[in-house]
Amino acid sequence: MGYAGYARAAVGATTTLLALWAGLYLLLTGRGERFNVGGYLLRISPYMWGLYGISLCIGLSVVGASWGIFIAGSSILGGAVRTPRIATKNLISIIFCEVVAIYGVIMAIVFSAKIAAVSGATGFSRSDYYTGFSLFWGGLAVGLSNLVCGLAVGITGSTAAVADAHDQQLFVKILVIEIFGSVIGLFGLIVGLLVTGKAEDFAVAVL
Amino acid sequence: MNEIHFNVDAGYLEGVVRGYRDGLITSPQYLNLTQCETMDDLKLQLATTDYGSLLQNEPSPLSTSTLAARCTDALVAEFQYLQQNAAEPISRFLDYITYGYMIDNVILLITGTLHERDTHDLLEKCHPLGFFDSMPALCVATTVKELYHTVMVDSPLAGYFRECLSAEDLNELNMEIIRNTLYKAYLEDFDAYCRSLGDPTATIMSEILSFEADRRTVNITINSFGTELSKDDRARLYPRLGGMYPEAQTKLARVDDMDQVKAILEQYGEYRSMIVGVNLSMAGGDSGSSALSLEDRFFAKEVQLNKDSFEQQFHYGVFYSWLRLKEQEIRNVVWIAECISQHQKDKIANYTNIY
Amino acid sequence: MAAVRDNVFPTRMNLTVTKTRLKGAQTGHSLLKRKSEALTTRFRVILRKIEDAKLKMGKVMQTASFSLAEVAYITGDIGYQVRENAKRATFKVAAKQENVSGVLLPAFEAEVRAGAGQFELTGLGRGGQQVQRARTAYVAAVAMLVELASLQTAFVILDEIIKVTNRRVNAIEYVIIPRIENTIAHINSELDEQDREEFYRLKKIQSKKKERAARAQKEIDEAARRAIADGNLHQAVGGDAPAARDLLAEQADEDVIF
Repeated sequence: MGYAGYARAAVGATTTLLALWAGLYLLLTGRGERFNVGGYLLRISPYMWGLYGISLCIGLSVVGASWGIFIAGSSILGGAVRTPRIATKNLISIIFCEVVAIYGVIMAIVFSAKIAAVSGATGFSRSDYYTGFSLFWGGLAVGLSNLVCGLAVGITGSTAAVADAHDQQLFVKILVIEIFGSVIGLFGLIVGLLVTGKAEDFAVAVL
Repeated sequence: MNEIHFNVDAGYLEGVVRGYRDGLITSPQYLNLTQCETMDDLKLQLATTDYGSLLQNEPSPLSTSTLAARCTDALVAEFQYLQQNAAEPISRFLDYITYGYMIDNVILLITGTLHERDTHDLLEKCHPLGFFDSMPALCVATTVKELYHTVMVDSPLAGYFRECLSAEDLNELNMEIIRNTLYKAYLEDFDAYCRSLGDPTATIMSEILSFEADRRTVNITINSFGTELSKDDRARLYPRLGGMYPEAQTKLARVDDMDQVKAILEQYGEYRSMIVGVNLSMAGGDSGSSALSLEDRFFAKEVQLNKDSFEQQFHYGVFYSWLRLKEQEIRNVVWIAECISQHQKDKIANYTNIY
Repeated sequence: MAAVRDNVFPTRMNLTVTKTRLKGAQTGHSLLKRKSEALTTRFRVILRKIEDAKLKMGKVMQTASFSLAEVAYITGDIGYQVRENAKRATFKVAAKQENVSGVLLPAFEAEVRAGAGQFELTGLGRGGQQVQRARTAYVAAVAMLVELASLQTAFVILDEIIKVTNRRVNAIEYVIIPRIENTIAHINSELDEQDREEFYRLKKIQSKKKERAARAQKEIDEAARRAIADGNLHQAVGGDAPAARDLLAEQADEDVIF
């Protein structure tokens, strides 16, 4: 049983337990009518959504990047035992992975620029809700695509290292594939920008 | 999803083993080796390969046995490096690889004990890959029964012994039958373990192992003609896996001569191409024939399968394959050395090319 | 060459003995000569066989050791297993003796026990055929070795014996027979010499006797003439009648003069 198995089991068990606990708590304290998902979601503050989006954006991107670096890095290390020349050349795979994290950071900065303190008694406007939701889903899109992109680049990077160690000519060919993988993260970044492009800043909503 | 987490434990080792693979002698190098006229030439040519540093300090009239010993040393050193750097799932896989050698070693010790030799001397003859920590303890045993119990307690092979043999069998059965029984149990167990490892490893290893099983099946059949091995016993030695299990094995268990074996093998596409043009009636002592023997075909096929396993990344099969290829390479080098030292240049090309 | 001869007394007896010896020596010489020729013929045959065997030997040994290399290629090291599993010899060497013109030559014969032997299952899983093939090749090689050993021993022994025989033949031919012939010649010449001496002596004695007889006659004649002159014819003619011979008395016969 591999690490994926353990992770899957752990995540599954935690989710089930939390859901069970919350459900039973509500039921047994006589507030069963609170099982109102729509209402619940509406009651969540737009700040919550927005900041969730930002943290998912940077967090998943970094996870993807570091995981990719790990995959590529360990293969580069192993391959470099016999052919040390691959080590410097294949740093490019590591940089490709790193770029994914940078996408996340950039997007997180762009997103966080839309967040500002809301003053005034009127509370959140419709525009605030839109901003919150768009930040969340935009951040999720960027984060997930960067996670997957990081993995893809890491795996291709690992293959590139191994192939380069075997035959120098293969390096450029696999590098092209690696670039295609790396572009996936860029797609997420663009979509994330578009999604949040129409959202107003929080500060603007309050006059 | 295997690719995502494979490198956590085995990424480094896989890189290393692929590096070892790149160190295998390539066909131009083999061509150079076959052009050598004397052992000194050979040594000079080998200096450009990974073996160069090993042979540097050997005195100049290099004997083939020293060559073989040095090459095996290199192989063992590399394998042990892998083992020392291995973490759990991969280390277990590597252990499984060594069980095959352990069987040979334990059989050697049993033979020694049966004939009342001093088994401590035998430890040096054991294959270093099949050396396990408690092996010196086996030398303490003076009777076969004691030895059997020590094996049961101390060696990783206990399971195979328990399944197939009792202490009395060690006394009564021919050593070769014991060896093959154990090896059969080992192959089956190894295959089951590989299947439990999940997809890429399972697919690749089961292909290699089932070929190994088929090869054993054919070999046992051919080699048991005209011996005291009865047909039932023969059927019992066939590993229960591989492309020949169970149908072809049932047929092979009944045959009496090479022609029948040929007829059966021809029904299987995989082996039909292999036996075409092979001089199957080699048992007549006609070693002068230049035609490749069935064994050579098997070697070529094995090399092909093992090469294929390097085409895929993120699986454990490369470790097994590398070891097999390296062994084949040592056989090739020693073969070439033998041909040169015995002036049999016409047969020098009978080695099995790898890359 | 100075005539070497036996130191014998030149008598007729010895002449006969020596002539017999000569006869013996000649017979012995021709016998030995024939033996030596027979041995040489045999020797040549063996020599040819040895040459063939040695040529074949190289090839057979090469095949054998190469088949061992093949086994090593396919099966790996099986030496220990095979050694431990061998319980009875399947290949035995028997020594026999052969008589060639009175010379005893040792001959070795290989006996191969039928059957594949104890390690027929070696290499069951891999390379059993090669093991058996190496085995066959080595059995052939060892058989070859035994044959060669047998031939070589015969060769050495025959060589020695032929040398001895030839030495004897030559000794008889060039030393003994000439010596005997010389002896015979010597004896003959000595005997002739003796004969001649004897003859001369006889002649001498004869001439002496004749002289003495002539003188005696002359004296008688003288006495007769004187008597006649004295008128004593009677005395002259009759003289004294010789006394009757006393047969018992010791007296020599008159020498007969031829």
